[in-house]
Amino acid sequence: MSEVRLQVQNLCKTFGITKAVQNVSFNVNKGEVHALIGENGSGKSTLTNMLTGIYSIDSGTFVLDGKEIHPKNQVEANNEGVSIIVQELGTLSGLTVAENIFLGHEDRFVNRGIKNTSAMNREAQKLLDQYGFGRIRANAMVDDYNFEDRKLVEIVKATYFNPKIVVIDETTTALSQEGREELYKQMNRIRSEGNTIIFISHDLPEVLRMSDTITCLRDGVYIDTVKSADVTEDDLKKLMVGREVTGDYYRADYGEAVSDEVVLSVKDVTVPGQIQDISFELHKGEILGFGGLSESGMHEVGKACFGASFDRKGSVTLADGTQINDIPTAISHSMAYTSKDRDNESVVMNQSIRDNICLPSLGELTGFLHLLSRGKMKKFANEYAAEMSVKMVNTDQFVSDLSGGNKQKVVLARWIGKNSDILVLDSPTRGIDIKVKQDIYQLMDKMRKEGKSIIMISEELMELIGMCDRILIMKDGRINGDLQRSPDLDENSLIAKMV
Amino acid sequence: MADKTNNSAVSKEEQLKKLSFISMIRSLLPIVGLVVVFLVFNTLTKGRMIKNISLVMSQIYVTMIAATGVFFIMTMGGLDFSQGSILGISSIVVCMVSKTSVPLAVVAGIAAGAAIGAINGFFYVKRKIKSFIVTICTMFLFRGIIKYLTSSAPVGGSAKLVLMNTDRLKLTCTLIVVIVGFIAFNFTRFGIDLRAIGAGEKAAKFAGIRTDLMKFLIYVLAGAITGFAAFINVIKVGSVTASGGNQLETQILIALVLGGMPITGGAKSRFLNVIIGSLLYIVLTSGLTMIGLTTQAMQLFQGVVFLIFVAVFADRESLKVIK
Repeated sequence: MSEVRLQVQNLCKTFGITKAVQNVSFNVNKGEVHALIGENGSGKSTLTNMLTGIYSIDSGTFVLDGKEIHPKNQVEANNEGVSIIVQELGTLSGLTVAENIFLGHEDRFVNRGIKNTSAMNREAQKLLDQYGFGRIRANAMVDDYNFEDRKLVEIVKATYFNPKIVVIDETTTALSQEGREELYKQMNRIRSEGNTIIFISHDLPEVLRMSDTITCLRDGVYIDTVKSADVTEDDLKKLMVGREVTGDYYRADYGEAVSDEVVLSVKDVTVPGQIQDISFELHKGEILGFGGLSESGMHEVGKACFGASFDRKGSVTLADGTQINDIPTAISHSMAYTSKDRDNESVVMNQSIRDNICLPSLGELTGFLHLLSRGKMKKFANEYAAEMSVKMVNTDQFVSDLSGGNKQKVVLARWIGKNSDILVLDSPTRGIDIKVKQDIYQLMDKMRKEGKSIIMISEELMELIGMCDRILIMKDGRINGDLQRSPDLDENSLIAKMV
Repeated sequence: MADKTNNSAVSKEEQLKKLSFISMIRSLLPIVGLVVVFLVFNTLTKGRMIKNISLVMSQIYVTMIAATGVFFIMTMGGLDFSQGSILGISSIVVCMVSKTSVPLAVVAGIAAGAAIGAINGFFYVKRKIKSFIVTICTMFLFRGIIKYLTSSAPVGGSAKLVLMNTDRLKLTCTLIVVIVGFIAFNFTRFGIDLRAIGAGEKAAKFAGIRTDLMKFLIYVLAGAITGFAAFINVIKVGSVTASGGNQLETQILIALVLGGMPITGGAKSRFLNVIIGSLLYIVLTSGLTMIGLTTQAMQLFQGVVFLIFVAVFADRESLKVIK
């Protein structure tokens, strides 16, 4: 049983100054489901992306069945017997289901330079039928199917050739219960055939139920490998975070009353194709959470509040009656926004930290003849960069040099400098290590106590439960659940509303 | 662990020092180049260049003024190939209106330039067509109109204009444009907004900059500035032919790139690029003419120099942001 299939040896990967994976070594056996757990940014996906040729390896090796492998892309990885089902959508729009399944392996159907499409479709349909997904037609465009069905197509694509290792990277969070059962069935089949699954999931009960062995990473460092049978969920949490997960990681208070004062009211907001009839009120000093699947429209809610949506209907009104319809109005009325797409929408990448922090506040940084004052800008940037303890050499440094967490700190420094009262934070801790995460949670708690109001949009259910006074769950562009802060709230009650 | 982070911070600092050293070299290169080229040509022409400095300078005004507007466009990541046609059309307008009133002619020239800039801006911003495609189209379109208007005879200006052809006036006008441009770029939020758009348009938008409006207005502004340059052009040449303003866009582009302007714009744009670049370009071309290079050889030479400078100054990391 415990024959070694894959040896991970001294693996390292850095992005700029971020050490994503540091000297990680462990073994994966044949015929097991091997779970990889760890907080966001702990290096799980980076590791599997190197295994499947999506990222290049900085140093260290993968030894598969005694042979060192260096896949340069996914097709090469497939040829070595490694495949992946990714977190986000992994099928290509504009291609048929069959073309997606055989992407990179079309040569099988090519005869004298001509592709035999009907043979390809036949073969693909046969596979789909075998998997029990017969309702998906091989010759249809993949765009005709919804997210779930496209995931099923991906499962076929990743497993039809009996790979030695299948990586399943946080696929389950995107699936409904039915889709999950389908995936579990395939996982069991692959295991029973003596092949290996590397399973990445944030859902610890699921990890305990589905896996044989669990390896934990934290901040890019290998922590431990344990047998699933020997551990509890709390043990896993402790491994992931490095200490007991209570106390001041999230807010500790419960039952504090939220002020009656409404600072922002959103009424019947619709963005075609994204969100439908969204109405809610944000109170002074409240942290209002939005949860849901990535495609549920919750990210668009943030943009709509900030006046950044294209073709928005309905109204977003501040306490003083101001209508928010565009970004400059939002900013001048003390609203702030951090985007999920940090590199494109939050920070101006190829610009200095100073300019990034000063941008919305330039109007206040003038001196002689209303001209900009270099001195004031420098002082302002230094002050707020220091308040957020941004790790940098000086404020002339370009933002593109910084790690994800530090970029987020720059964005927050910008809005703290602007002294905004209403903050819309979309995925504020996305891809950020645990230390900075904690800083951000504490900052949010402090702001809340100062009477600032926060809309927090997040795909991490634990942080919503830990931080928010009230959580609205989105599904298919509508609000599908409304949950109040409570120590009894758990992830399952949120998930129930999400899918 | 703490030791490790310390180490990486130190090496990071060294790395940054190295980077800032490279960027210092890059920013010094055009200035050094200007001095070297100037000295070399003076030696080659046995001092003829310095004796004819006023002739050399007289070629710089139009380029430098128009380059100021294009500099703004390039800073926010766009390009403008219609500058030559803008100069041609505006020059014709200046000539025609000058027969009525000279001050009115100046205003009319600016208005004509601004109008063409507005057309560029409209198609770029509202129809979301890439700026180089839009401006190549308007370049041909307005070149056609220039040819049509000048088909029977060159369009001549009022005699009053020719009397105004003094270095003092031309120099003053150029200085005003450059100084106002310098202050606006470095000491108002205009410059920072432009650089932010060039360095990351979406993020700039989310930081509260009205990016679409700004992009449109910059094209109008660049057109207006070149419309003003048309006045200087007309008092210098007196009349406009079918080739009036031809290839100004390439001259500007080469001048800016020679001056160290990153072709992708963004945060590394410096106003000094305009001044040094225009000077370097004029010294180079006049010098080459003085030592007897033919027009054909000159174009070849310009092409080679342009390619080399773009290769040196292109910021490959941000190349994808060209708009």
